Amino acid sequence: MKKLLAMGLSVLMVAALLCGCTGKKEGGRVFKQGFDLDYPPYSYIDDNGEVGGFDVELCKALCEYKGWTYEAVPFNWDAKDAELNAGNCDCIWSGFTKNGREDEYAWSICYSDNTQMIMVPDDSDIKSLADLAGKRVGVQTATSAYDLLQDKEEGQGELRETFEKLEVYDTYTIAFNDLQAGGIDAIAIDVTSGNFLMSGTEGYHFLDEALGSEQYGIGFRKDDTELRDEVNEALQALVDNGTYDEIGKKYPEIYEFLCLKPSSEE
Amino acid sequence: MTFATMLQTMGSGMLKTILLFVLTLLGSIPLGMIVVFLKKSKFKPIAWLTDIYIAIMRGTPLMLQLLVWYFGPYYIFGWSIRGYKFPALLIGFIMNYAAYFAEIYRSGIDSMPVGQYEAAEILGYGKIQTFFRIILPQVIKRILPSVTNEVITLVKDTSLASALAYAEVFSLAKQISASQTSFLPFIVAGVFYFVANYVVAWIMKGIEKSMQYYK
Repeated sequence: MKKLLAMGLSVLMVAALLCGCTGKKEGGRVFKQGFDLDYPPYSYIDDNGEVGGFDVELCKALCEYKGWTYEAVPFNWDAKDAELNAGNCDCIWSGFTKNGREDEYAWSICYSDNTQMIMVPDDSDIKSLADLAGKRVGVQTATSAYDLLQDKEEGQGELRETFEKLEVYDTYTIAFNDLQAGGIDAIAIDVTSGNFLMSGTEGYHFLDEALGSEQYGIGFRKDDTELRDEVNEALQALVDNGTYDEIGKKYPEIYEFLCLKPSSEE
Repeated sequence: MTFATMLQTMGSGMLKTILLFVLTLLGSIPLGMIVVFLKKSKFKPIAWLTDIYIAIMRGTPLMLQLLVWYFGPYYIFGWSIRGYKFPALLIGFIMNYAAYFAEIYRSGIDSMPVGQYEAAEILGYGKIQTFFRIILPQVIKRILPSVTNEVITLVKDTSLASALAYAEVFSLAKQISASQTSFLPFIVAGVFYFVANYVVAWIMKGIEKSMQYYK
């Protein structure tokens, strides 16, 4: 009798497990968000060792809305194109600048504005971009601030020539350490990342003069416009139901740059 | 960016890689010898301290060590570290590689039979004479393959200097690859490293050959 009971129970358990599996699959596709694991406040590994950030939370909310299964694909920023083209992720969604890359990806609607600024210590003698002449400036590789300083035609390539040196770091965290330690005089950085770095420390500010401006979107493979359209639609829905605003409020340093408006306001 | 400018930029990075490589070797090969003597010191505290040093150098990532050497003076003493990047890199690489070289030297020295020391003593050699005239030449011959391994690893490890924004060839490859959305710079960097290591292996083979005086 005991054996029979045990058998009956295990059959039930297996059945329950199988139900669980199929139940999940019915929810739809797996959506793989590719992002930089060290690009706060858009995407990063949080204090508990879990992935977090505005972009990650927004993507999770979007997956929930669409009934998709969310999958995080954190990578080094340099590897983003290889990861996307290899199909390891469905999109690059990580404070990703559209400007200058318009033709290289299928772009979603832009969900955030951003500006590149120069960050200096409060006691610095640098007051304007012109004062950067003969100074050491730090920047993170493969960021829009970096690209801006390389571009002589439309960007700030000529300004860059006046620097004593442009130090190119793997992450802004190290660049900021170097600024604090006096190894460099200024950092070229987008305003949201800069605000995040400065949020824990006092004694640093942006110059009033901006280096340049840009818009953030989600980059899909060029032939993947169908998925892009679906995400666009869902993104607008999240704006309309207030989720976008709600998540944005958790990130005060970027809240004012979020540029999507509910469709009723347009 | 044309292929020629890319090669030119990365060539300048390769020069920086080679500079770091050569200076590290010049520093760490002799320093490793000193470390071995300290480790074999009869005065125990020195031997223990050397053990701890080797344990830390081998037990922590080199990239972390580089960050500590560079930012340490600021965080510990509050000094400005302006212009201290290259010295910090050199110290970090030399101290790390000296620990590895020391262990390689030790493996060679310990492999010498006691009989040789005894024979040398009977023949009237002093301790220092025995070491430099009899033991060391054989040690060098024996450890060369391990040293070659370590030297080749060093060529590739120089890419860790990108942690401190040192513009060596691999960090330039990353930068160019990102701004050009192309994988080509990585291939070029791979070829550069391969050629450099081929030359290293060829030189070391030559040295090995010149030491086969019994054949």
